[in-house]
Amino acid sequence: MKKILFGLLVLAGFFISQIALAAADLEVNTPAISALKASMQTRHGQLAAHYNSGAVGLTKDGLIAVKDANLVALKDRQSLNGLVSAENGDRNALYKEIANANGHAEWEAEIRSTFAQRWVQKAQSGWWYQDASGWTKR
Amino acid sequence: MAFSLAAHAITEISIKAEHIEHPLGNVQNASLRLDLGKPSPTLSLKSSLKQKTDKDWSQVSLSCNVPKDIQAGHWDCAQGSVKSAHINVPFSIVINRLLVKGIPDISAELNVKDASFSDEAGLHAAEKFTGKLKLGAKQAGNNWIWQMDVDWQAGEVFWQPFYIANGGHQIVANGKLEDDLLSFDHANLKIKNVGELSFNGQMRLNDFKLLNFNGDLPSLDLATAYPLLFKPFLEHTAFNNADIEGKAALKLEIKNSELKSFEMRLNNVDIADKNQKFAFYKLNANIPWSYDEPKNVSFGYESGELLNLPLGNTNIKAEVNRFALTTPNIRLPILDGALNLSDISAARIGPKWHWHLRAKLEPISMADLSTSLKLPHMQGAASADIPLVTYSGGILTTDGNVVLTVFDGTATVTQLTMIDPLGSTPKLNAEIALRNLDLGDLTRTFSFGAIEGKLDGDIKGLEMQNWKPVKFDAAVQSSPGKYPKKISQRAVENISALGGGGAAAAVQRSFLRFFKQFNYGKIGLSCKLHNDICQMDGIESTNGGYVIVKGSVIPAITVLGYNRTVGWSELLARIKRVTDGNSTAIVK
Repeated sequence: MKKILFGLLVLAGFFISQIALAAADLEVNTPAISALKASMQTRHGQLAAHYNSGAVGLTKDGLIAVKDANLVALKDRQSLNGLVSAENGDRNALYKEIANANGHAEWEAEIRSTFAQRWVQKAQSGWWYQDASGWTKR
Repeated sequence: MAFSLAAHAITEISIKAEHIEHPLGNVQNASLRLDLGKPSPTLSLKSSLKQKTDKDWSQVSLSCNVPKDIQAGHWDCAQGSVKSAHINVPFSIVINRLLVKGIPDISAELNVKDASFSDEAGLHAAEKFTGKLKLGAKQAGNNWIWQMDVDWQAGEVFWQPFYIANGGHQIVANGKLEDDLLSFDHANLKIKNVGELSFNGQMRLNDFKLLNFNGDLPSLDLATAYPLLFKPFLEHTAFNNADIEGKAALKLEIKNSELKSFEMRLNNVDIADKNQKFAFYKLNANIPWSYDEPKNVSFGYESGELLNLPLGNTNIKAEVNRFALTTPNIRLPILDGALNLSDISAARIGPKWHWHLRAKLEPISMADLSTSLKLPHMQGAASADIPLVTYSGGILTTDGNVVLTVFDGTATVTQLTMIDPLGSTPKLNAEIALRNLDLGDLTRTFSFGAIEGKLDGDIKGLEMQNWKPVKFDAAVQSSPGKYPKKISQRAVENISALGGGGAAAAVQRSFLRFFKQFNYGKIGLSCKLHNDICQMDGIESTNGGYVIVKGSVIPAITVLGYNRTVGWSELLARIKRVTDGNSTAIVK
């Protein structure tokens, strides 16, 4: 009986957490969010080649990182660092803004991890991403 | 280990080691061969080396002519190389002498030509590097006295976060080595096209900690120094994307690993943000700082721009006392007025600055202000008196009123706060009260169709992101009192168009179309913006709708609105259509 009760509780907990997550509107739009998305969109033009070459990959926490700077000419490595750092600044701000726009600042971590999965799902083949075992090629 | 000597006449001595382990790294297949058969003896070394942190083995080889006098003679090692997957460094060494009277007194020259190397991650790397190192080191008791001369002749280097595209840089230095304490007595670093730094100091070698440092950089070219030296450290600040020109001078003193004093002078510097958020021209500054005593700072510019507002000639004097800054008065001319800041104090607590001050805005003409901010042309003036402005942790808060006298009335802004005004997602909160705005001026300014009368309004809980409203509770209505109240047919059509059509058609169908203007008793509209939806209402409710314009004596007109919820972007699009397309009104 106790086991069944415990099972029900776990199940209820599971549903509640699903409901909380389902309630987060990831497509919510505010001027801050659209400004961040526009800035990320513009930057993507410069980053795409680095995703393709494997110089930059997607991390587990919804950010990006320099995976192998050797694939980029010396003179471009500083700007590569700048691109990655600016992109991560926007991504961190985006997760925070989406949580705020939903009226639940505490959802930031959940939103971040949902986005991390999304970025990997949307990644083109040949791009690198981080999973539990480290860098993996899609 | 193996040691072999050929019997009889010795022509070759060779020492081999298969494996040597050391805390710094491993050595494999090392062989040292002394060849005595040739006219002059040669010593050659071959080995595989691997530092503990490396993945790949490097192959090292070196071959030298052995002088007759081993201590004072010339060692000539012409063909040396270090090679691995990421490294290709060809080098040669000339050793002029090793010992004087049995005491080490080394004089040597290392030449590297067309070398390339990189660490595993590619964050410390060089290509086509050519350079020369002259080194002298003499043992004196337990210490060494050294001097060196490094000439980086050509090649590009990326040393995270720095990138240097070309050679032409030198460092000349001398000093002592006492145990693990490396002293620079005199050193001079010359970076081509950037500046020349002379310094002395001490560094502890076991943790590379800088203990003492005295540096003097009398003339720094900011145009070349900014991308090279400063930009990598300004990545997360408002100054990360600027064009800068001019000269700076810098002095710096570090004692016992703590910053003791510095002095920075800026000479006719122009700095402009590439995203046009700010610009300062002919900036001159003298910024001394000392840990021990208060210093007077002066800072001024001839002209500038902040968020599109022109700034006039400004001179600021302040006292800096360790991590606090105070100044009685700063006057910042803006357009035809000025911002007077008084009772200013700022303090750095931890990594962040906290400010508070009193601000008074001498009237700025709205005509100039609206042009600068690319708003429709307005008359009137803006002035403000804010007893307390605080800036703390990126948040600017005001306690007081900003009063704009516009359209013959007033707009009073209270509880104004701004978060991250120069950042990527600036936010603004405010309460705005509008009183006695002249509707004639207002409707002409926004080419809305003429309305005569006066308007009051309140915008409560205004929240803006990226300078666009996201939330407010706003209502405008006719001001109390007696004054002429007339509305043109065009304005009626436009008001109706904002509500999504309906009334305009009625005007055009009925006899009312014969009148160009109507009398009204009261006018009012409200919008509660939340989640991109505007909840609309008028001055009173009717069956299924609300009254926006309430008629008075004939010819009178009443305009009703029926849409209670309108998408905010849809409403903005309607307003734009109305104000853009209003040069000709269609009256049938």
